[in-house]
Amino acid sequence: MASITIDNVHKDYGALNVLKPFSLEIEDGEFVVLVGPSGCGKSTMLKILAGLEPASGGRVLLGDRDVTDVAPGGRDIAMVFQNYALYPHLTVAQNIGFGLRMRGMSKAQIERRVSDAAETLGVSHLLERKPKALSGGQRQRVALGRAIVREPQAFLMDEPLSNLDAKLRVQMRAEISALHNRLGVTTVYVTHDQIEAMTMADRVVLMRDGVIQQIASPDELFRSPTNLFAAGFIGSPGMNFVKAEIAGGRLSMLGTEIDIDRKRVDGRKNVIVGLRPEYMALGKTHEADFKIQPTLVESLGSEKYVYFQDPHHHASGGGDDDRSKGLIARISHSGVIAEDQELQLSFDPQNLSLFDPETEQAL
Amino acid sequence: MKRSPLQTFLLYACVVVTLVIILFPVYWLIVTALSTTVELSGLPPSFWPEMPQWGVFTKVWNERPIPLWLLNSALAALGSVALSMVVSVLAGYALSRFNVRGGHGLGLFILTAKMLPATLLVIPLFAIFRQLGMIGNLWTLVLAHATLIIPFTTWMLKGYFDTIPRELEQAAMVDGCSPLGALWRVILPVSTPGLAATALYAFVLSWADYAYARTFLINSQDSWTANLGIATMRGEYTTDWNEISAAAVFVALPIIIIYLFLERYLVGGLTAGAEK
Repeated sequence: MASITIDNVHKDYGALNVLKPFSLEIEDGEFVVLVGPSGCGKSTMLKILAGLEPASGGRVLLGDRDVTDVAPGGRDIAMVFQNYALYPHLTVAQNIGFGLRMRGMSKAQIERRVSDAAETLGVSHLLERKPKALSGGQRQRVALGRAIVREPQAFLMDEPLSNLDAKLRVQMRAEISALHNRLGVTTVYVTHDQIEAMTMADRVVLMRDGVIQQIASPDELFRSPTNLFAAGFIGSPGMNFVKAEIAGGRLSMLGTEIDIDRKRVDGRKNVIVGLRPEYMALGKTHEADFKIQPTLVESLGSEKYVYFQDPHHHASGGGDDDRSKGLIARISHSGVIAEDQELQLSFDPQNLSLFDPETEQAL
Repeated sequence: MKRSPLQTFLLYACVVVTLVIILFPVYWLIVTALSTTVELSGLPPSFWPEMPQWGVFTKVWNERPIPLWLLNSALAALGSVALSMVVSVLAGYALSRFNVRGGHGLGLFILTAKMLPATLLVIPLFAIFRQLGMIGNLWTLVLAHATLIIPFTTWMLKGYFDTIPRELEQAAMVDGCSPLGALWRVILPVSTPGLAATALYAFVLSWADYAYARTFLINSQDSWTANLGIATMRGEYTTDWNEISAAAVFVALPIIIIYLFLERYLVGGLTAGAEK
């Protein structure tokens, strides 16, 4: 096991700069998730770590060893691919043992370690099968087995759960976390799914257009996003954004007025206010309250998504959520909520996030 | 969706018509071989000889150097297949995987080369081989056939390699293979159906050649291939079409046998399971 140091690594394809200078220290045993929308450079970064793509500049260190120019096989890392990349002509046992064979390990040793790895992942009964005779979840486990059997310095995982159905994804997510806790191997995990990032990571690296937006623990990322993109990307449903005006130390939004810390807004007249759907409650439970006319109510059983309109709604922002349906309140354990029936909601002003409308940075 | 009786009838009718078109020449070859010379010149032609002359096959086999011709054809074909496969596996893989500057143009150039007719290429090849004193040698034919085959097989294999996920060799490289090692240990075993189909195609191209063999080997009887040999069976005044047809059956048989042997590779989809 080892720490990973990424020092000013960047990647250009001709004039196209897909990864801006990227620096990150990953501690020994840490589980770091690179997350961001498609094309943000996260997979490119992972391939550079694996040695499958050369960096255009910068250094990669595994522990104290500079591996920037070392071939993938010489880095002592293991990788799990999105499509598993199991060798279709080999059995499960041969797939898991392939890397050991390439390293010239004896047959007896290979057999022992393959059987240990297979037992850890519960695929011992599948060892003689070919990949095409396995289900998606089983293939995923074999791919993990191929990674853990080598006892590498680090695991690199490239969207390993995206080909699984929703239920299996939740199960495998927990299994990968448990495996990491047990083995304690430094792991870099790439996903576009913010839920995976939030549930699995010690630290999340949020990326957009080849630039790191924020590096933080999942809780910090949720509570204190550094910019509008980070605020919108993390959370499901995503954060609501409204344009608000400030006059005389008071901020007006959603038809209500709130006292605001003048220092925080630094004389600005306009800000974008972010309010997470889960920070809104039914009735006048919190300090600031306002009335809405629900345009759509979606029931998920234990909670309801209540959509409503506001003329100052700021519809752009990070994340995959469709903000065109309006603002959302996430209401738990309510009774019946009817569309077109006026509803009173409230929130704690402490929970508001403020952003500069020009720079989109948090205030 | 269940087919209506009319659709089923039309489907089978199409299959039957196609089969008749494809198999009629084969049937006619056998009929010609088994007929007597008199029957062959009769009008209207008969669709099955009254007294099939089965003895024609042993007669041709014994009186003509058919085994030598077949051996020469086989050597030329196997040699061309081996040479072409080595070159086109590497070339096809490179075209499929590496973004080399000018690689696309090079690929198109190869594609153009395969559009040129063999009869056009045979002239410069003859000039070159004569300069090098290589005319009349069976291995010259191997080289010549390779020039004809490699453009085809390179493109066939490039197309096949394109269907194999890159992650397979990336996984192999992370597991400790060199790029060539990944090609050898993972990509080639996975490509068996593609390699078999390509090799068979290359074999048939070489086996079916007449123009090159005629140009490079006509004066060295010991090196004649089957097609060249059969062509010489045509007499100046009379031609025994039944004997020529019997010899042609011997030439066609190896291809049919090889096809039957490789058939399971040709239809196998080994990459199934590589992806999700």
